[in-house]
Amino acid sequence: MGKKVLVIEDDQELGTQIVKRLRDAGYEPTWWKEGRRLSRETLPDVELVVLDLMLPGTYGMDLLKDLRVFSEVPVLVLSARNDTADKVRALRLGADDYMTKPFWPEELVERVRARLRRPTLGRGEVVEVGALRIDRGRREVSVRGGRVEVTRLEFELLAALAERPGEAMTRSSLAERVLDPERDGTERTLDVHVSRLRKKLGCGAFVETVWGIGYRLGDGRDE
Amino acid sequence: MKLRTRLAVATIAVMLPMTFALFWYDAVARHQAAEQNLTEFVFGQMPAAREACESAPSSFGGELRPSRPLGPPRGNRPPPGDLPPPPGPGPAPPPRHPRPNAARPAVVHAYDENLQSKNPDAPDVPEALARAISGQDVAIASYVFPTSSVELLARMPWGTGPCAYVLARGTTDPTWGAVLPESNIWLLPTVAVFAAMLLALGPVVRRIRKLTEAVQRSASATYADAVLIEGDDEIGVLARVFNAARREIRSQLEEKDRREQALRHFLANTTHDVMIPLTVLQGHLATLREDAAAGKPVDVGALVSAMDEAHYMASLVHNLAATARLEAADVKLQRSEVDLETLVKRVVGRHRPIAKQLGVSIETAVPGEPVTVSADVTLLEQAISNVTYNAIRYNGPGGHVAVILERVAKEAFRLRVVDDGPGIPEAELSRLAERGFRGNEARSRAPDGQGLGLHITHRAAELHGYRLTLRPSEYGGLEVELEGELDAPSG
Repeated sequence: MGKKVLVIEDDQELGTQIVKRLRDAGYEPTWWKEGRRLSRETLPDVELVVLDLMLPGTYGMDLLKDLRVFSEVPVLVLSARNDTADKVRALRLGADDYMTKPFWPEELVERVRARLRRPTLGRGEVVEVGALRIDRGRREVSVRGGRVEVTRLEFELLAALAERPGEAMTRSSLAERVLDPERDGTERTLDVHVSRLRKKLGCGAFVETVWGIGYRLGDGRDE
Repeated sequence: MKLRTRLAVATIAVMLPMTFALFWYDAVARHQAAEQNLTEFVFGQMPAAREACESAPSSFGGELRPSRPLGPPRGNRPPPGDLPPPPGPGPAPPPRHPRPNAARPAVVHAYDENLQSKNPDAPDVPEALARAISGQDVAIASYVFPTSSVELLARMPWGTGPCAYVLARGTTDPTWGAVLPESNIWLLPTVAVFAAMLLALGPVVRRIRKLTEAVQRSASATYADAVLIEGDDEIGVLARVFNAARREIRSQLEEKDRREQALRHFLANTTHDVMIPLTVLQGHLATLREDAAAGKPVDVGALVSAMDEAHYMASLVHNLAATARLEAADVKLQRSEVDLETLVKRVVGRHRPIAKQLGVSIETAVPGEPVTVSADVTLLEQAISNVTYNAIRYNGPGGHVAVILERVAKEAFRLRVVDDGPGIPEAELSRLAERGFRGNEARSRAPDGQGLGLHITHRAAELHGYRLTLRPSEYGGLEVELEGELDAPSG
């Protein structure tokens, strides 16, 4: 059972596309072709609302205002008008995100997914990414259950990357965090440490190189 | 009401009461003089006529003519008691030819203590005078404008007998106590002044008419002609003020025309710029359809090109809208709190699908902490979007783009868009920077032109007070750097 999403879109073609894409992505969309006055009773049980601001009948902003009176459900606003005042107003009325038309279906699905994704608990005691397990409390690292001995610096590096798994971090910010500026604190040194760490972690790209940026903690499946 | 009529009416409205007041004052003064004359005449004549009166009270009365005419008094005063000898009660001397307005001879009747006359011709004493005489020697009938008759009742010094009271009637005389000259010639200057005033108004009215015509002429030529009215008077000043107003209107009209021209130009450019990718897109779609009809496998290249054209068009329309905003005389930023991290992710999210199709990898890095600025979210997003899309668009399959947001020195941010595409030679970069990245080739689709987008990025950075730097990247492509202050420290 996918998560339920309410799509409020008056355009037939666009609505059809959005609904199809969301369904393909594993969500359960409900489509309203016109704005209705929302109340606690009429709002379906959904986890996200995709709202087109240019609706006949009820102006999208009013709908948003109504909705926020009784619900905290995330709202992704679609607008054809690339206008600052509109965006600021929508955000002030409680929209969580907005998208300006035109957009690729992929982008919309990605936005919906990002909105509904549970926040990654990157700052907890133990972080598990794929087969990699980092225990901050014990300062232990294991891959597929097997303990891996890492140096203090290598552990710091992994812990830093594990704060935001899947997100790239610049080499300069990593170097600043884990290297001693008094000693050889260059990014080149960082690369050396990463290379050693990779060898220790074995096959699978846990520490991914990101072009032009630095490194990222991956789940070890790629490459 | 016309100016001349207004002036005439106003003048008449002032002059008429003034003239009336003058006449009234003159009449009162003459009446007073006549009263005095009559009083003194009665008191001067009666002692001499007493005997005649008391001897024949029943026939005494009638005109009591002095031997020579009275007055004229000097000023308002009648002549002092230089009275002529009393005439006899006999018939009146043959009438001379009196001046038309000259005083008629006084008519006198005698009355006893009870104000009864023995003379049956004597009129009854008016009650007002009978009442007024008690307690004073002379009672004078109050003056009624504009009558010329004067009437008074005098108590004789002897106070008894049939001639104890004398009722005297006379008239005013224009030579006595007059304020105004006897002839009305004095009215002439007044009328002359009036006429002069109306005449003097003539040139003024003419000048005003000339001004009116000049203004109308100027207005019909959309204020292109100057209003030429010489002179230092108020009308000259008015003409100069109008000229100043005309110049102001003219300049505003020109500004409006300029803007309209710009708008038309913009519309034409927009149409042109959008029509080309649209045509290319149609071409791709037609090819795809024909291939499909011929049973050929799908040409992925054509599909990707079609997608790229659509994406390019979207970015173009956004850029054209931004240009329209930026070309206004004064651009107003609609600032609000903007989270740069969200913005960067949104921009990368928008272009990731097309980057994927074009075989260009796009990666992004943001700091773990919020980067909040006060900015116009649409303009800033468009600025960042443009350099990001340029980095993708001018790259090739297998190329890379990285969008990196960093916080520097606590209170500032640095955003870098790095690519390994063909880049721009340094000489060309400095040439572009000098011109604010604006130019004919910057509009074109040619791969070496950076599109109209870079100029928008430049303008948006300028308006926000951010520093925009373009330099060759360490990977051989272009590195675009945007640096600025954080306006709203995260709390």
